[in-house]
Parts: sequence; C-alpha cells; structure tokens
Amino acid sequence: MISKILIANRGEIALRVILACKEMGIKTVAVHSEADRDALHVRYADEDVCIGPAVSRQSYLSISSIIAAAEITGADAIHPGYGFLAENAHFAEIAGECRLTFIGPSPEAIRMMGNKAQARETAKNAGVPILPGSDGPVKTFMDAQDVAREIGFPVILKASAGGGGRGMRICGNEGDLQSAFEAARSEAERAFGSADVYIEKYLERPRHIEIQVFGDTQGRVVALGERDCSIQRRHQKLIEESPSPAMTPEIRAQMNEAAVKLCQAVNYVNAGTIEFLFQDGRFYFMEMNTRIQVEHAVTEEVTGIDLVKEQIRVASGEPLSVPHGDFRLRGHAIEFRINAEDPRTFAPNPGKIREFHVPGGPGVRIDTAAYRDYVVPPHYDSLIAKLVVRGKDRAEAIARGRRALELFIVEGVKTSIPLHRAICDDPRFISGDFSTRFMESFSW
Amino acid sequence: MNLKEILELIDKVAERGIAAVEVEQAGTRLRIEGKLAPPQQVIHTSPAAPIVTGALPALPLPIPAAPPAAAPAPAAPPPEADSEAGLHIITSPIVGTFYRSPNPESEAYVSVGDHTSKGKVLCIIEAMKLMNEIESDVDGTVVKIYPQNGQPVEYGEKLFAVRP
Repeated sequence: MISKILIANRGEIALRVILACKEMGIKTVAVHSEADRDALHVRYADEDVCIGPAVSRQSYLSISSIIAAAEITGADAIHPGYGFLAENAHFAEIAGECRLTFIGPSPEAIRMMGNKAQARETAKNAGVPILPGSDGPVKTFMDAQDVAREIGFPVILKASAGGGGRGMRICGNEGDLQSAFEAARSEAERAFGSADVYIEKYLERPRHIEIQVFGDTQGRVVALGERDCSIQRRHQKLIEESPSPAMTPEIRAQMNEAAVKLCQAVNYVNAGTIEFLFQDGRFYFMEMNTRIQVEHAVTEEVTGIDLVKEQIRVASGEPLSVPHGDFRLRGHAIEFRINAEDPRTFAPNPGKIREFHVPGGPGVRIDTAAYRDYVVPPHYDSLIAKLVVRGKDRAEAIARGRRALELFIVEGVKTSIPLHRAICDDPRFISGDFSTRFMESFSW
Repeated sequence: MNLKEILELIDKVAERGIAAVEVEQAGTRLRIEGKLAPPQQVIHTSPAAPIVTGALPALPLPIPAAPPAAAPAPAAPPPEADSEAGLHIITSPIVGTFYRSPNPESEAYVSVGDHTSKGKVLCIIEAMKLMNEIESDVDGTVVKIYPQNGQPVEYGEKLFAVRP
C-alpha cells in the first residue's frame, strides 16, 4: 500500500495530485526549484524539498535529485505528473530499482510507445489503423522520395523521438521534399538528439481525437471515451472537449476497441492516451502518451471517474474501479487552457498576477496553482489555470464557458482568456464543424 | 487550538530559537516564525502584521482567492543575516543526507574552529547511494556547521560558515 507520494512536478498538476492524496489519506512530498519556493504545491504538500535552481535540467529534470528527495523523506511512490520526467523510461526504471512505486506504466511500455516509429509499428501489428507512410525512419533522401511518391503528396515528416510539433515539416509537392527532409532532420537532431524522421500521408482537414485508456495489473484495460482536441495552435492544444461533436456511437465503439487492443499489445498499466487523426469518418493512430494528460479533467467530468485517484489505486496493485460493461459519457465537458501569454501572438508573458478572480457556479471547475500576487516564473510552461465547464449538452457547456470566461479576471499578466471568449462566440466553433486548422483562419 | 496553546507554542518557538513552525489542525493553519538572533521576537510572515500570529482559516481549494498567508518575499534576508556579516556561507549543491565524516568510525572532516582551504573536503552528501564529497571554495576558519550529522539537506541549504 502506498502511504507517502513524492510528486515530481510543479504547478496545477502537482496540486491536482496533492488533492487526490488528501482525499485518500496519503502523505505528500513536494519537490521544487528555487524559483518555486512560493508555489502552492509546496505550500499544500505535507513536506517539501528544494531540489535545485530554477533551470529545469538541474531541478525538475534531475533524476538523482528527485530520487534523493524521495529517499530523505521516506516516500514510497513517485507521481510524475505530465511533462518533465513523466515519459522518461530511464526515470521509471531507476525509481523501480530504488524500491519506489512509479505511478505510471512500466519502463518497457514507455520506451515502446515513446519512439514514434516503433509505436506506429506496434499499432500496425495490433490491427489499429495507421496513416499510410514509411515503416520506420527514412534514412536517406532517396528513401524519403520513394515513400512520398508511393503514398502521394501532401506528406508530413516527423521526428521519431519528437513531440510538440518540433521536427515536423509538411510538404505539398516533390520539389520541396529535399529541403523539408533536411530541415526536419536537423531540427530533430537539435531538439531530441536523434535526426531520425519518418513520413506519413498528410491529412488536409483532420480532427484530433484521443481516447483515454486505463489498464490495471490484473490485465484489464478499459477505454473511457474520447476527447476532441482540434482547437490547437502550433500543435499545442487550447480547447479540449468530450464527447467530440463529430462522434457517432459506432465510431466511438471502434476507436475504443482499437485503443484497448493497442494497450493490450504492450501490457499497458495505468493511465494513457491514444491520439488519433480523424477525417471523413475514418481514424488513424497518431501516437500514444504514456501519462496523465493536461486535459484529463474533461474525461473526469463526463465519466465521473477520478483518474488521478485511479492511477494511485492501480499503482498499488488494486483492480480498476470502473464498472464492467458499457458506460455512457454523461453530458458535455469543455476545457479552456488559460495560459500566461499574449492571446494574439502567443508570446509567453510571465510576471506578477495582481488580481486573480475565478468564476464559480454550476458546472464550473478550475484547476490552478495560481493566486493573487503569485509570480509566474519565466522558466516553465505558461499554463496557469484550466477552466473546465460541464453542461447537459454542448450548447449548455459553451454557454457556461462563455459566462465563466466573462467572470474570470486575471490582471498583471496577459492571458488567453480574451481569445477563449472570442472562440466561444465563433459560429464555426458553436456549430462543432472544424478541424485542427481552425486557428489558422480564426480572426478576432 | 485555544489561545493558551498558541501562546505556549509561541514561547517555545522563541525559547528554542526555531526558525519557523507550521501547524495544521482541524481546518486551522497556524504559522509562527521566530528570529534566531536576538531580540527574540515572534513575527508573522506578513510584514504588515508584525506581532499577530493569526489562526488562518484553511483556504478553500481550488479557489485560492487570497495569497496563501502572504508568502515571504524570496529576497528577504534571513533573520540571522547580521551574525553572518563577513562570513562565507557554503551551501549544499545537491539534495541528500549530510555526513561530517567519510564513515561512522572515522573523525569528522572539519570541526568548528578548524582551518580549511580551497579544495579541502568539508563533508559528504549522500544521494542515491552515492557519496558526494563537498569541498571548500574558500580559505578560512570554520565558524559554524549548520546541519547535524546524518540530517537530510535540501539544495541550497546552508552547510558551513567560514571566516575568510
């Protein structure tokens, strides 16, 4: 049984884990950098340890410091949150060797799904639909040309070890292929230390739809329905919702089934997300995230399952508490990511929050680690709050989102709130008919 | 917690020279900060409220409307700053367990009053079963050793004060 959890993260997700632990009667240890001394996760944890200077590489990414912090506080488990070391197989491995329960999947599963080309191969073998493309990395330009001709333009080049849009190039015709290939390779090398890239067919107007999955140590895997994350900018999600406006019960059943098959193929344990591209009623495996997601709250709101508590229970060896048999998504939930950034240029805007008023009322949930007079440090990502609204249907959820955003007051730093307000009034967003390219043509 | 108990706690903090203590009980959170150097006076973290150590109601989550108990300014000088004037402070470069000697049988690397020099080992910090030797980065006399032998230390925590 887990009695004390060290949270190897910061911000709202660290606080989210602390909340789950408080409800379960589990002690918590916060780790923090020198820049986060006044952070809420430090304040609300039972114990806290300063693990290094502001720069992530020497604090939140320092495996030895985090393990040492677990040792000196006597923690028996580590929750990695998302980002930082959450998908670092080496970290999960070392935690295991130090007799610390890693609240997440096995190092093998992280490794297998972390490499995109290998993940694609695994999906293919499990019978999960994938986009036509190269089987594995393309080493030379000649190989790239052969694959691109076979599957037809446009194509997309992606870093094998990548994520977050880096090392990605879209190429519309053969004339541009060489420069795109070289640019993707050098960017991949710089960002991830590996120049390997692979090629896929590029879909013009896809939706990003992902399935929340959960496996336990008894071998049971469940799929908890979808989240539609098509509202993105620069491959970073802005708004996520469940259910997807484009979904039908038949397609949902197919996607859930495909997601479960893939998890079973890698003996997946704990929470994970399988991302698909969806266009014209067909879906294609994109990648798997072997961690809890930023947008997990959306699924929590429509399933009634506390995913973080479930993670802890499953890591303790308990079976999933999700009832057997079909379950339905209830109502509609939408998450708006509130970032400390310029809503037009998306440039990060760290600084002191001078006023912070959060909305309430029916169907409104705020996950945040910010407060009035909190200084948003420049060293980490710009997410300062997640506004999650819930309604009986999509129209009610949007209406609640609109009025919650109206009453959400943040002063001192620029935020994405004005952008979200504008999106809530956009006829295309309201209609539900949009793709991942929504933001490219959105003007306000 | 009643007023009498709070006052007793304040006395204890002052008596023992404890830097800070935080107590949470049945929805009430109390933080008392002491000054290590004289005058021994109990202060609250908020500069606007010098003596009051108010029992704060637990802040509702996830809506922390007010700054939680006015977190201290990061740049605030430590209370014992005066006594450290002119001293060189060596802080821990890593998280781990502080040991004054290479093993339990041997003597401490340094004691208060010893002379040390640049590059000389002062202590060991154990992290992940690795013994990391911490060297002095200055020549001088050791005037204070902050942690106890075997005590866990954080990154940046004070280890030694050296008078150059």
